[in-house]
Amino acid sequence: MSALEPPEHRLAYPNVVDGATLDGDRTFAADAVVVGSGAGGAVAAARLRDAGLDVLVVEEGALERTETFTTDPATMIQRLYRDAGTSMILGRHPIIFAEGRCVGGSTVINGGMAWRPPARVLERWERELGLDATGPRAMEPYFEAAEAILHTEPNHEDTYGANTHLFLRGAAALGWPVARAPRNMRRCVGLNNCALGCPTGAKQSMLVTEIPRALAAGAALLTHGRVSRVVWRGSTARGVRGRLVGADGRPRGRFTVEAELVVLAAGARHTPGILRRSRVWSRQVGRGLHTHPNAKCVGIFDQRFDPWVGTHQAFHIHHFLDDGILIGYAAVPPGLLAAAVPGIGAANAEKMARYNHMLTAATLVDDETEGHVRLGPDLQPFMWQTLNAADVERLHRGVALTAELLFAAGAREVLLPFSDLHAIRSPGEIRRIHERPRDRGAIELMTVHIMGTARMARDAAHGATDASGAVFDTRGLVVADASAIPTSLGVNPQETIVALTLRNVDRWLEQRRRARPPLRRREAPAVEVRHAGS
Amino acid sequence: MNRVPVAARPLAPAADRVLVAAVAAIRPRGHGFDQPIDADVLARVRGFFPFLPGPLRRAFPIGLRLLELAPIVVLRRPRRFTRLPLDEAQRVLERLGDAGGLFGALVLGLRTLVFLAFYQHPDVLRALEVDWAGRASELVRRRAELIAS
Repeated sequence: MSALEPPEHRLAYPNVVDGATLDGDRTFAADAVVVGSGAGGAVAAARLRDAGLDVLVVEEGALERTETFTTDPATMIQRLYRDAGTSMILGRHPIIFAEGRCVGGSTVINGGMAWRPPARVLERWERELGLDATGPRAMEPYFEAAEAILHTEPNHEDTYGANTHLFLRGAAALGWPVARAPRNMRRCVGLNNCALGCPTGAKQSMLVTEIPRALAAGAALLTHGRVSRVVWRGSTARGVRGRLVGADGRPRGRFTVEAELVVLAAGARHTPGILRRSRVWSRQVGRGLHTHPNAKCVGIFDQRFDPWVGTHQAFHIHHFLDDGILIGYAAVPPGLLAAAVPGIGAANAEKMARYNHMLTAATLVDDETEGHVRLGPDLQPFMWQTLNAADVERLHRGVALTAELLFAAGAREVLLPFSDLHAIRSPGEIRRIHERPRDRGAIELMTVHIMGTARMARDAAHGATDASGAVFDTRGLVVADASAIPTSLGVNPQETIVALTLRNVDRWLEQRRRARPPLRRREAPAVEVRHAGS
Repeated sequence: MNRVPVAARPLAPAADRVLVAAVAAIRPRGHGFDQPIDADVLARVRGFFPFLPGPLRRAFPIGLRLLELAPIVVLRRPRRFTRLPLDEAQRVLERLGDAGGLFGALVLGLRTLVFLAFYQHPDVLRALEVDWAGRASELVRRRAELIAS
């Protein structure tokens, strides 16, 4: 053991069953099965184990340890992302969608932002949507607890790169206040590899926090387990069934988990997919998809400033948040940034030769359009959202503001995300963004923030889950991920997922306490594993 | 640690020839990017296919076979894509990309994979003077020291 290893390189992961190595059919038994190990699943698992339940977490991806992370995008995308990052939300303007498929889920590949939602969003949940105890005051202790779990802190100044200083310069020149981003990290050193897994261990993803904590407390984890559906007795969930997947991606044996509590935390795409395959016929399942789409702008500067040196998004601009617009910046590896740079062959090379002069900024917009998730002919969930005119307008305004900021920072050219307007070369040309025909050409959009597809609501006519995340008209089946978020947030959803999960777990446990006598806490290993037929 | 799915089936020779021609047309050239790394780029692009979702994996070879015939429509000439000179192959890809739809998506996908393989190649990163990996090693040590202190 080297003295120079960060603590996250030495974490123990006891009680892990690697499904890729299992042959034949298997049956597991636990008090609670948690499907997914991201922000919702890991927190739910740890809290349920704290309360004395035997917990089994089922994760489709692999346990990829921090010390094996590299900076090579192709390798890490293949290891950590679902479908190698090629998922797409279909619609008039298709949106590229990326999510994690590994232990820790998308918390392993996100930017580590830990924002609370604006107070107006929480007030709306409580007052307009009738979700009791979701207002700012009631949620306060849960956000505080979420921030403790996420280890939220701002970046140290010694991690700022020149890209941060340029972003700040642009904002200052325009008189726009900046917000210092709270991030889930423990002494970030500014490597800026967040989206490919943090090799330094600084990002406090679920891989290095709640998952190892839950496992140490006696929870168990099955990796390479793809849950297909819930098992029922009447309208009561009695577990889940699925396939074990080899490291080669091929299905191996089948597995069943018998459990009295089923927690779905497979993300806002796959949770409604599992519900649909489980014959939960509510029309609300899969509805309410919000995507928080983002569009990139790349500023090209005269001076070289090596954008890859320095931390990721130490600041955001929330000045336009009430208009549904957030502006941030990031360093993108050349192999990924090149796709946002126009042209092929020599034309692309000419621009990319200036890579060390490029500042990438993005606008994220609070989408009011509701999309949906449905099952395709292969029984896999696909996503659909055609942004309405107001959202498209908001995107154009966000792109224009981002371009304005880049010019104010000193850019001499700004590359745009429009197929019919690739670049502008002066602030005077920003009007071309506003004048651009909205019904022509494509907008290059991306998201990592989908939510709302099994949203909490006061009744079954308005959502798929009740005010505690329990699926309407069922027993023993709850949702603990971004699916349960009732409306678009306008900010990165990680902290909200954690806070809502903490709140809802308290409610599930309270209901359980009312229904049965206190649990006897069993010693680890907590999960009984049986061969099929035994 | 990189998992290589055995489900990976190599492309049929006809589709693979189109892929080779497409990679040659898309790969950056000039401006300091003339590294002789086409074979590496091609291997990396081929290596990505098994990780794509099933429908994409099945559609990609079909898209490549249709791309072979695309010059008939795009250039209105009875030539195969694999026999076009470089500038004409680039024109075909650019027009298909601008047209959008399924062919637009094919070009977008090819472009993304080729750029990812090309610009992250160690020789190209060296030319760009980007040393993310070296910085990672240094910062892992630096953070360990900071946490320990």
